[in-house]
Amino acid sequence: MKKIILTGNPNVGKSVIFSHLTNLGALSSNYPGTTVELLKGKAVLAKNDFELVDVPGAYSLDATNKAEEAAAGIINSGDYALTINVLDATALERNLFFALSLLERKTPLLFLLNKCDLAKNRGIKIDPEKLSSELGARVIPVIATTGEGFDKLNLRIGEFLEEPAAFLPSKAIPEKNPEKWKLIGEISSLSQKIEHKHPCFLEKLETVTTTPHTAIPFGFVVLLSSILLIRFIGENLTNFVLDPLFNSYYAPFLAKLSAALDSATLKALLFGSSPVPMESFGLLTTGLYVPFVVVLPYILAFYLILSLLEDIGYLPRIAVILDNLSHRIGLHGYGTIPIMMGLGCKVPGLLATRVLETKKEKIIASSLLFLMAPCMPQSAMIFSILSPYPVFYTLLVFGYIFFIGLVAGLLLNRLIKQETPELFIEIPSYQTPNPRLLFFKLRLRLRAFLIDAVPLIMLGILAINLLDIFGVLSSISSFFSPFFTKVLRLPGEMGSVIILGFLKKDVSISMLAPFHLAPAQLAVASVFLAVYLPCVASLFLMIKELGAKSSFYVAAFNLAAAVLFSALLAFLLNL
Amino acid sequence: MKKTALTELKNGEKAVVTGINGGGQLVHRLNSMGVFPGKEITKRFSSRRGPVIIEVLRSKVAIGRGMAEKIMVQRVP
Repeated sequence: MKKIILTGNPNVGKSVIFSHLTNLGALSSNYPGTTVELLKGKAVLAKNDFELVDVPGAYSLDATNKAEEAAAGIINSGDYALTINVLDATALERNLFFALSLLERKTPLLFLLNKCDLAKNRGIKIDPEKLSSELGARVIPVIATTGEGFDKLNLRIGEFLEEPAAFLPSKAIPEKNPEKWKLIGEISSLSQKIEHKHPCFLEKLETVTTTPHTAIPFGFVVLLSSILLIRFIGENLTNFVLDPLFNSYYAPFLAKLSAALDSATLKALLFGSSPVPMESFGLLTTGLYVPFVVVLPYILAFYLILSLLEDIGYLPRIAVILDNLSHRIGLHGYGTIPIMMGLGCKVPGLLATRVLETKKEKIIASSLLFLMAPCMPQSAMIFSILSPYPVFYTLLVFGYIFFIGLVAGLLLNRLIKQETPELFIEIPSYQTPNPRLLFFKLRLRLRAFLIDAVPLIMLGILAINLLDIFGVLSSISSFFSPFFTKVLRLPGEMGSVIILGFLKKDVSISMLAPFHLAPAQLAVASVFLAVYLPCVASLFLMIKELGAKSSFYVAAFNLAAAVLFSALLAFLLNL
Repeated sequence: MKKTALTELKNGEKAVVTGINGGGQLVHRLNSMGVFPGKEITKRFSSRRGPVIIEVLRSKVAIGRGMAEKIMVQRVP
């Protein structure tokens, strides 16, 4: 199968095009660096099968971070039949710099001129024919979000299959950067016309959200309303939709099933020991109640809000606002984006650290990801388990976790001697989110949760039952019991929870339910479980990203911070 | 006309880049985004100690304070 690579600057729409051509899901957002690894899929073009590779965006072929390294690696390998370079019509000149470095390579190349609709709205008129003759390569205008122009792509690919040599670039490209920019100036002045347009609403929003004295209050309002909205949607979906559904339709079915079964062991395994779905620890009761009734609504709410903020293009603005503060904890502003992603799940959060340049930043970002950003399933469980008590305890848990992260960041910044690089990012223009793309993305993320997390939750419940049956649980509990009673002032039997926290954090917090703890004890236990160790999935990914040695240090540092700060909290709460 | 650092510009002021006081990698990174000697840019926003946002080639770019101090410019009247 012939290979086609999809390249270009960050945030030009490569992933939207990839999803469109392969029918596979590739996450896309309105900020640079959404794609950090190579995505591969099969695309049928001109009635032929191709392997299509979505390459992370880059501004040049001299890599400054891991994502750009991956891009330069595949482009330099030469292992492909055709390169498609996606150009953003709203910023043609900047895109042409990367395009020139591809034109130098003398391998078959074709250009897709994307975002033609947005360019038109901003008064930018590009003549594709003229651009094509100036570049000495074919240029196809497209609108990736609607699919306009892809029929032309099919035609051109057909031509490519008949005569690949016609797609070899012929333009002579100067070697030095200043001369390249001069050439770009000439090309764009010949093929592009710009009319002045009056600033629209989105541009006014730009001023409000980037001018320092309005940006910070605005950011605070966005953050606060996001949290309240997530909690509102999550809580109401659980209480008024999913919990009633579970009780009125699923529970009677379980009762019938239980009556039909004889084996007591099997019954205990499937239905557990208590009629309360959160406390029984049966595979079919708690095993399904936790992921579907408690966690799913929050996951849905969180990703809805995150996807919305991403597609509007607000995330890089947060990076700018937080740049000052971030430097004190050894990151630059963009380091806050992986941490925000981590509030959903650690796995995409860790992957997002690939846009960071230095080892120091990656270590600090990974460490803070585990310390200050509890993932959504875990947060959902904390919300749910603390919901019967005053809201003070919920605020205490999350506020304290954030505080631990800040202190740890300040400390790590002192411990790791390396300069933190400067923030240097493109701020995309605000865009009205495209509902179709938004729901496509939401579906992808929910599917990832259902496929990856739900089986792990059930596995966790199964593991607990098996450990219990074989008596391992009680020996683990008694081993850890002095630590819990003396240091954290919690019941000694809680040791068993530790094991599960490693497998799946949300399940470990649900295991607190049968202990009937006081709210202050629940707060200490939640804080400890949230930060003490990464879950298995994220630990393996961290080892892959950072190496075993650094990962060991990060995990050890987290464990130490968790013990210290949870003990401090227990002491402060007078347990 | 006097040369100043990018950080000295007021919000909304236009200027031409005259030089970048930095190593090859810094120069190259700025180059690849369109910041090079002779290019006209507009400073959009910055706080007293935070990053500077400039507009170049119709895109907005946020540049960390330390990096922005190394970019020398000349105001365009």
